[in-house]
Parts: sequence; structure tokens; C-alpha cells
Amino acid sequence: MAIVNRAEGRAYLTPLVGFLLFFLGFPAAVNLVYSISTVSFETLRSPSLSGFGNYAAVLADREFWGAVSFSMRFGVLTALAECLIGLFLAVFLTPLLAKRSYLMAPLMLPLMVAPAMIGLMYRLVLHEFAGPVPYYLFEWFGDSPAFLGVDNAFRTLLVVEILQWTPFAFLLFYMAYAAIPLEVREAASLDGASALKALWWVELPLMLPTLVIAFFIRFIDGFRVFDNVYALTGSGAGGSTTSLSIYIYQAFFKGGAIGKAVAASVVLFLASLAVLYGLNWITGRGRR
Amino acid sequence: MKLNSTSFSAVAVLFASVALPGISHATVTVLGWPGGSEETALRATVEAYNAQSGIADADKVELLFFNRDGFFDKLQADMAAGSDAFDVNLVATYSIGRYAPYMEPVDLGADAGKVFGESVLKTMQFDGEQYGVPTDLSLHFMYYRKDLVDALMQDDVAKKKYAEIAKEHLGKDLQPKDPDSWTWDDWAATTLYFSKQVNSESPVRYGTVLQMKNLLFNMMVFQSLPRSYGADWTDKDGNVTVDSDAYKTGLELYKKLYDAGASPKDSLSYEYAETNAAYGSGQAATALQWNAAAADLTNAEKTPAVAAVTGIVAPPAGPNGRADHIHGLGLGLNKNAKNKEGAVKFLKWLATEDAALLYARSGGSPALAPDVAAKVSKERPDLVKLGEFASQYGYVMNGATSANALSVYELQAKEFTGYWAGQQSLEDALAHTKTGMQDLLKK
Repeated sequence: MAIVNRAEGRAYLTPLVGFLLFFLGFPAAVNLVYSISTVSFETLRSPSLSGFGNYAAVLADREFWGAVSFSMRFGVLTALAECLIGLFLAVFLTPLLAKRSYLMAPLMLPLMVAPAMIGLMYRLVLHEFAGPVPYYLFEWFGDSPAFLGVDNAFRTLLVVEILQWTPFAFLLFYMAYAAIPLEVREAASLDGASALKALWWVELPLMLPTLVIAFFIRFIDGFRVFDNVYALTGSGAGGSTTSLSIYIYQAFFKGGAIGKAVAASVVLFLASLAVLYGLNWITGRGRR
Repeated sequence: MKLNSTSFSAVAVLFASVALPGISHATVTVLGWPGGSEETALRATVEAYNAQSGIADADKVELLFFNRDGFFDKLQADMAAGSDAFDVNLVATYSIGRYAPYMEPVDLGADAGKVFGESVLKTMQFDGEQYGVPTDLSLHFMYYRKDLVDALMQDDVAKKKYAEIAKEHLGKDLQPKDPDSWTWDDWAATTLYFSKQVNSESPVRYGTVLQMKNLLFNMMVFQSLPRSYGADWTDKDGNVTVDSDAYKTGLELYKKLYDAGASPKDSLSYEYAETNAAYGSGQAATALQWNAAAADLTNAEKTPAVAAVTGIVAPPAGPNGRADHIHGLGLGLNKNAKNKEGAVKFLKWLATEDAALLYARSGGSPALAPDVAAKVSKERPDLVKLGEFASQYGYVMNGATSANALSVYELQAKEFTGYWAGQQSLEDALAHTKTGMQDLLKK
């Protein structure tokens, strides 16, 4: 017998559905209208419908595709690096952390800092005349690279993001790795599996759902990056470090191209949905 | 039921007790520029205004501040939504056109011109109408190392080296000069001479610090170079003229100096703070920087390495003389103001000589006409230079107060930095800028 009947269930769900409709549905509907309208700050309350011109403008804009390319590269590379380093740390530090769990606190420290603050911090740390890194490079080697110059900016931004968010991947992997039952490891050992084989054939398959989830959480975070990039390089020389979020922000507030910015965000929303459904399908197929 | 009525009454009384003091004390609400000297000066000035005997309670001023971060974006969203939360709002030169649809022009009276000068009043004008009282002005100073330049001028061997460098890199016969009579070529030759990459005997690492980050404010700093060669955004007929020889000359000179190593390698990520740090470290001979930096760069406690040896002049001259990009902050009238009469009364008072002097003495940076600035020259010697440069060399580009002026600066920042970074040719950068500006500046 059901604990609540169908009518009661609906009654319980009503506030949640109402909340979602109001706080998510309303802005989504407004966005859809703006994306097919000619609208400016002066006409926010009276946009005039103009068809799909904003979408055409976005898709024909070389800067939009530059931003998509930046976000995609940034998202994939940071997610990959964070997961690989996080996994390495989880596997090698688990025995240590089992005995000295207090070490977890300093490892988690970067997660406590707001990304915008991280950006500002590295602006200082990497500055040729104020930062410790260039100072010591000049002391030791007589020169220092331009960390935020056009040739190195992308690599520097990658490193900054990876340093901040690897602890997040590490935390997830550590929990998953530590949760593998001891009996499973003992059985693998009795069957003659070496540590490497046990990791590859036993432990990693058991951690796979966590690995996949961590990768995509980090990919999504990397793809929509804004704060630290904006604080460090802005949109970069010639727009070279314009992420999709920065593109939308600039089109909306700086360029006043509200329809175009909203159209770009709708395109991003649809692309995200497609990726999520694709992932769902892949993981579903894997389970079967 | 009685309980409900009692509770309701109690809540009403509570709300009234919280709300009423605000209503009774001030009915002209002024949204000011938060933080820094502007806020301090405005607070002191408003206090003096409210203390005047002729000001009715209903016309007294209350101040409202929020954060500087994203201030103008938030203000735009507020004004577009028809907010009446403030009667008087902050406005900046490059964004007047954007806010003008939500504001009303104000007549400041004939004396305002005598207090500020016409070129400064122009920083608050749009379509020929006065939209605000100019409270604080920003322009640029050429900061330079007096000790280094003096040593260069007195050393014949150094002069010879200087002439060789000028000939090799700029193709011109030049000799060291007093900074106050520099042309841009003289400045360029000096920066090259003081760069280790060009002259290994230079006592400092770089000849200058160029602010080349893709940021609209950096375009304001750059603008005076092409302007002194005759550049403007549009001609008198409204045709975009950014592809002029003047802009080409300015852009090429910046790139030449950057590529030659006269400015730090990271200059493409430099803005105000980085420039101050670089010049303040004592490793750069010159810096074209905002006037606001003068207080720090000449303060021995804040910048011990260079404070005592820093000289300040107006930006160098081009064939059309000297030019100094000016833009101002000011206060104007919200179209949806609840108390327009009181707001206009306050704005008119703010444009008087007494109010401007009080604002200056309280730490603000108004650009005052020379005879007015002379009255505060003892307390604020920096304002004398500010007023002098603004009245002699100050300019506002055609279209720089239009609705899309901010976007024009943004566009130039993106395209010009793309050229400086070697990502596109000069011709492409100017062609993209011209196309974009034609779209942004069309009526």
C-alpha cells in the first residue's frame, strides 16, 4: 500500500512545481522571447518580435565561435588534468590519510577561496614587479616569461584553474577509493593480482561512476568559467581568452546587444542539454 | 480577532517607526560613486548643503551608495527598470548617452562655465544638453624619472647613444629634451634608450609601462597619442575616421615600443594597478598614467623607490599639439525622480563656486577654471595641474558621449590589442574597428 495516495502526492509536489515554474520557468520564457526580439535597455518592457535574426547573428559571429572553442578546450583540458591528478593523489595518499586524516584540511584549502579572489591573487603573484614568482625567476635565471602574455595566457589560466579545483576531484575519488570493501581487494590479492592489475581491473571499474561524474562536473565548471579568467586577463588581447560566459556578459552589458546575448545563452543551454542527454545515454548503455 | 487586530496595529506601528524618520529627514536621494575620495568629498559637501538655513526639510539630501563593481551595469539595469529610488544619479562622460533616455537635462546657469570652464562642462553634455554637474575629472599625466632624464641630459656619451638609438629604431635625428617639451618621438626615443633590451647600459629595465590590456579604460589612456596627430572618431559629417593616418601612427608606435622591449612583456595584461606597481618599482623610466595615481606615485611612504624623483608633465605633443583625454564623473537628474525640484536645486548649488571649492577641499577632484583653482592651490596643488591640463589640452572625441560610446571603447580595446599582440594586421584591426564603429555610432 502506498504511503501517500496520488492526490496527496500532487498536493505535496505543488509548491515545488510552483517554485520551479516561477523561478526557472519565468526567466526561461522571458529569455526565449528576448532571443527572438529586437530589445535594448530602453525597450526591456516592450521588446518587438523580430524572428531568428539574433540566432543567425550569433552563429555567424567569429567571436562566438572563438569563445566556444576557448570554453571547450578549457573545459576538456582542465577536467582531464584535475581528474588525472586527483585520481593519482587519491590512490597514493589514501594510506597516509587513513592514519593522518587532519592532512585533508590543507588539501581542501584552495576550494575555500572564491575564484575571483584566486584570479586577483595570481595577478599579484605573477606580476613582474610585485610577484614572488617572477622575482625569483629574475634572481635565478635573469629573466621571467610573460605569464599573462598572449602566448602563455591560456596555459597560465589552465594551471590556475587546475590548482584550485584538483582538490575537488581528489575529494570525490578519495571517498570512492576508500569505500571499496577490503574483501574485494583481498580477493583480488588472493587471485594473484598485482597492485597495478588490481587498480586497473578491480578498483577503477568500481570507481567508474564517480570518475565519470567528477569529469563532467569539472568539465561543466571549466566550460562556463568566468570569474578567475575575467580577473586575470579579462577577455585577453584581441579577445583571445574570451570564454562563452564572458562573451555573453560582454554582449549583454558592454555591447547592449541583449537579444544576441540571450540567443547565445539559449544556444549554450541547448548544447548543454544535448551533452547531458548524450552522457545519460552513454552511461545507461554502459550499465546494460 | 482582537489579537489579530492588535498584532496588525503593532506591526504597522513598527513599520512606521522604521520608515518615518527617513521620510522626515531627506527627500532628495543622491546615488553617488562609492568608496574613495569621491564619497568622502560628497559626504562633506552634502553635510554643508543640508546645514544651510535656506534649505527646507523636504529638500535636504540623503546619500545612497552601493558597490563599485559593476556599478554602471547595475545602474543601467535600475534606470531601465524606471527606478525612482534616487533623484540624482552618478553619470560618467562615456556613458551619458546610454543613460540620457532615463535622465533629464539640467540648466546649471551661466556661472557654471566660469567655475569649471567650457571643455569640462562638455564632459557632461549629450546632444547639446547639459546632463550633469562635473564633480570629478580624470585625465592623464606623463610621469617620468627626473633623476634619469637629468643624468641623460648632462652626459655627452649618453646623448650620443640616445641619438644612435633614435636613428636606428625611429629613423629620426633626435637629441634628449626636457620632458615638458617632448614630442611623442622624443618620448619614444627616451623609452627605447632606457630599455635594457635596446640599451644594455640602461639603469632601469624598461623605458615605459604601456597599459595594453583589452580594457576600455586603457583605450582612454592610448587615445591622446593619435589625437595629437589629429585623430577623431568621426568627422563633422559623422563619418567614422578611425582608419586615419593618425590612428595608424599611434598604434604602430605602441607596437614598435612593445616589440622592442621598451615595455614589460606582460603589458598586454596591464591596467592601472600593474602600471603603478611597475613604475613604482623603480624599473621604468616613464609611464603615461591616470592623474589619480599622482597621490601614490609621489608619496614617499607608498612609493619609496621613485616618489622623490618623479616629475609630472602633460602628455607629449604631436603635429597638432598636445592632447589629454578627459572624462568626468558627475551628478545628474533621474527622469523618474520623486523630488525633481529639490534635486535641481541641489545640482545648481553643486555647480556654484562655493560648492566646487568645498568639494575640492574635502578631497574631490573637480577640474576648476584657473582662477577658481588658484583659491585652493595651497591645499590642493594637484588640482591646479588638473585644471590647467584640462583647459589647455582636454578633449572629448566626437561621439564619445553617445549611447554606445562605452561599446566603442570596448571595440577598440579588442581590435587594437589584437594588433599589438600580433594576432591581426593593422589594416584588419582598423577595418574591423571602422565597421563596428559605423554600426555603433549610427543614429
